[in-house]
Amino acid sequence: MIEFQSVSKKYSDSASTLALADVSLNIAKGELVYLAGPSGAGKSTLMKMVAAIERPTSGRVIVNGQDVGRIRKAGIPFLRRNLGLIFQNQRLLNDRHILANVMLPLLVTGAHAAQAEQRARAALDKVGLLDRALALPMALSGGEQQRVAIARAIVNRPQIILADEPTANLDRAAADKVIDALHAFHSVGVTCVISSHDDEILDKAARVIRLEHGHVVGGAA
Amino acid sequence: MNNWFRQHRFALGAALSHVRKAPGSFLFNVLVVAVALALPFAGVTLLDNVRPLSEELSVDPELSLFLKADTPRDQAQALAPQLQRILHGSRAKVTFVPREQALASLKEKSGLTDVIETLGDNPLPDSYVMKLEGFTSRADAARVDGIAEQMRALPGVDSVQVDSAWVKRLAALLGVLRLALLLLAVTLGVVVIAVVFNTIRLQVLTQREEIAVSKLLGATDNFIHRPFYYTGALLGLCAGAVALGAVTLALRPLNTAIAEFARLYASEFQLAPLPPLGMAGLLAISAGLGLVGAMLSVQRHLARLN
Repeated sequence: MIEFQSVSKKYSDSASTLALADVSLNIAKGELVYLAGPSGAGKSTLMKMVAAIERPTSGRVIVNGQDVGRIRKAGIPFLRRNLGLIFQNQRLLNDRHILANVMLPLLVTGAHAAQAEQRARAALDKVGLLDRALALPMALSGGEQQRVAIARAIVNRPQIILADEPTANLDRAAADKVIDALHAFHSVGVTCVISSHDDEILDKAARVIRLEHGHVVGGAA
Repeated sequence: MNNWFRQHRFALGAALSHVRKAPGSFLFNVLVVAVALALPFAGVTLLDNVRPLSEELSVDPELSLFLKADTPRDQAQALAPQLQRILHGSRAKVTFVPREQALASLKEKSGLTDVIETLGDNPLPDSYVMKLEGFTSRADAARVDGIAEQMRALPGVDSVQVDSAWVKRLAALLGVLRLALLLLAVTLGVVVIAVVFNTIRLQVLTQREEIAVSKLLGATDNFIHRPFYYTGALLGLCAGAVALGAVTLALRPLNTAIAEFARLYASEFQLAPLPPLGMAGLLAISAGLGLVGAMLSVQRHLARLN
């Protein structure tokens, strides 16, 4: 489902450091994989490459059989519609209620508004926030905002969920709720890639890919 | 097709939603653009009113040849072949106007029947009216003068008048006005595009996060661009409507003044608003200018965000 073949990434603004150095790894369909490593290890860069936010400097990134580095610019939105992206800072739109935030991935595909609303409500129900559907994001706690981000990520029924530090800045209880929600989606066959610093979460994980200074130091196979 | 309509309806809804969020700013921009549009719209309205007048007047030169009062009718009519010879090679319609017909026409057109009746004898001479066609250049004007000169030398001819000069001047003046209006419209069109360009630039900046998130969620460029296009077109359309409304309202006091002036010339000339089709055309141009401004701005500023 996700395959990195000798992938290196060097940002144009960095003098000599590679954000990713000759990374090769495979993530199978339906797998739940954690990315671990200190800040600057390359976890976010790796996830950005799967979503075609960044392109590899060398090597190939294959997602769902597509070489991400070769996708035309016009094809990127269609790749992303099969991905559920969750960011550390949620990136919710604060000027609209959370129902509208969750509807957005459906509306960008041209879905009917009524159908989008129905599915967004169902997604919010799954993360336990249906009763807050008409609240603005700022009225929610950090943990609740992250669950809204999860609802937004799953509303399009994606094949892959990419969660970049979804529990950062959350207390234990909120972090557990977020992880439980992600595990629930994995249990129905969604491939999940989650980056985390949280040892308590990583200790329970079946597979952890460890990165250091852009190199994979464990869990690649 | 349904999806296409849905996407456009969504884009229009998004554009209206942004207008609702900052109605004051939108209204101010509409007023700025309307001020820029009002002047060329007023010019178009004026030309549209004057054009029928100028079209009624022929710009082709007309020669009026008056015979001496004592010239016998048969000698007067015998001049026709000579006139045709002088006009040889020119397209011309030659009409003989007997003095009786000229008097009847004068009575009919001047409304001075009673005064003319007191004259007793018909004071008007027999005449020829020659309408020349295809004489539009400066060189043609010299040819007309040459023709008139040759006709003056014919026996029994009292005078020859070239009647086209003032009509030509009016046509030339209208031509200058039309050109000036075109230049003004182009200049102010650029102003409209610049205002919309800047409005959309600010909107792109304020919606930067929404644009970035939408892209991450799988929005295509068209999905991102469309609401801005609608906003630009909407801004142009509203400004066009305001400008047209202002010009139409301004006609009322103007017509009061024009009526007094026209009465002095026994005329009932009034400025009329543009016909519905003309108004629709101007509104379409306004919306088009807004759309162009929005497209230029979106192409430039979203490329930077990317």
